[in-house]
Amino acid sequence: MAETATGHTRTAGEAAEAQAYGLTPDDLRNWASFSPIEIYWALKHDVTPAAARRWAREGVRICDTVRAIALGMNPEEVRLWADAGFAPSDAVEAKEMGVPLEVALAWREAGFILPDAALLIRDGWTLEEAVKARYEGIADEHWYPSRSSTGTSSTS
Amino acid sequence: MGELLRRYWHPVAGAAEFRQQSVKAVRVLGEDLVLYRDKGGNYGLVDQHCPHRRADLTYGFVEERGLRCNYHGWLFDHTGRCLHQPFEETRHPAGRFKDKVRIKAYQVQEKAGLVWVYLGPAPAPLLPDWDRYYSRGYKQIAISEIPCNWFQCQENSIDPVHFEWLHDNWSRVLRGEDGPRAPAHQRLGFDEFDYGFVYRRIREDTTEDHELWTTGRVCLWPNCLYTGHFEWRVPIDDTRTLSVGWFIDELPGDAPFEQDVIPCWYAPVRDERTGRWIDTHVMNQDFIAWVGQGVIADRTKEHLGESDRGVILIRKRLLEDMAAVAAGRDPKGAIRDPGANHSVHLPIIGGLNRPAAKAGPPPFPFLAGQPEEVAKEFEQAWRNCAAAASEELTTGG
Repeated sequence: MAETATGHTRTAGEAAEAQAYGLTPDDLRNWASFSPIEIYWALKHDVTPAAARRWAREGVRICDTVRAIALGMNPEEVRLWADAGFAPSDAVEAKEMGVPLEVALAWREAGFILPDAALLIRDGWTLEEAVKARYEGIADEHWYPSRSSTGTSSTS
Repeated sequence: MGELLRRYWHPVAGAAEFRQQSVKAVRVLGEDLVLYRDKGGNYGLVDQHCPHRRADLTYGFVEERGLRCNYHGWLFDHTGRCLHQPFEETRHPAGRFKDKVRIKAYQVQEKAGLVWVYLGPAPAPLLPDWDRYYSRGYKQIAISEIPCNWFQCQENSIDPVHFEWLHDNWSRVLRGEDGPRAPAHQRLGFDEFDYGFVYRRIREDTTEDHELWTTGRVCLWPNCLYTGHFEWRVPIDDTRTLSVGWFIDELPGDAPFEQDVIPCWYAPVRDERTGRWIDTHVMNQDFIAWVGQGVIADRTKEHLGESDRGVILIRKRLLEDMAAVAAGRDPKGAIRDPGANHSVHLPIIGGLNRPAAKAGPPPFPFLAGQPEEVAKEFEQAWRNCAAAASEELTTGG
């Protein structure tokens, strides 16, 4: 274990990883609490420690922070999704794939996790079609969402 | 999909195989080809059929330079040029017919004891030079043919939860153990980096401080798993996959260890006695899951959940990369800067220089069927290194 100036301890394995990525003691000090691969990826994409911490407070890891910044998001958008019970990475995925929160909620209600739903929507599936394909023959009818529920249009 | 995969180098054989033979039939990415090493030491990968009368070049013979067809003696080099047409040149010495004939030929390189091929457009990217190749240890290569599509194999490379069930819990059942189940997964995480994705996990018995979370394991793009050893899933065609494993066992002490030849062996996947898939070793268990999904897994019949976030991640990325290639761009992980291709680091739990097993040379856990001579060679290497380390301690050297 090696302790940084901020009290964050790193295992020997982490220290070896940091060395392999060419990270300096200053990097490790400035990026305490981030893993070596995250620090490497942040530095590569010009994410500052302050920005990274701001996003990390919302539970967003560096690779999603890089995407979120590229998408013009702000951390508060993630909180909206987190309040609705989605993983922080889902907020970024939804933004990238153009899935509104209410649509994501409808698909989740029908049993689809966000990244799965986003790909299906991109491929032109309606919620009704997806549900039918997913559950036909293997689930009781009560699994089927109401046909009038949100997300049955082709843009859902 | 094929256009994407043609942007990468793929391992198709062990270099050690070309100590015993000089010509080998290979099918890769749906093409029937012949891999050879001529007497000058050059590898070549050419069409299986001679462009003259379509004879099978698997039965050709190598010369100082190139491969000669056994039917009428036409000779081709590794670039596909025809070097010699014996009877044509006798009858028309100035005819230069050979200059008008070429055979389809692809690039070949040898690295880390493997023979790699590139079937894409020029210029080829660089063959990655991973840092793990240079670790000290006993290395071996094991190859299996799996009768299913490559991508369901690769999806396994970013599916942490399967380890708990397919390997830990099922193995306990197979051993007849009634004890507690393996530590359950609690959280998963995924990070992108230059050469693929890292998957991270927290189990009941680990925390965020554990290297399973801080470092994680690597889904190496586009068709490999890296956990300290490599498992490439090379498409033979749409319905068969060549599983190519590159393994390393750490050795005691730190005296230099040189391995003249990295042995390469072919691992059986089916128990000849019962006709069932072999289930005793880690990768054999993976094979059972993959072939069980069908020759080409029908994704329309799946029901994806939280454990499948990694699978969805690479499906999406694969589609994006296919679009990138169609648009004329490089896909993820292609290395073109020679300066950046020296001992390229991949995340590894425990570091590159891990201690050897203390109790003695461990049995090979990944695949059934390891030849006795390979096991013995490793054991001897381990004991030699242990003795050298012990002597060094005794003499204080």
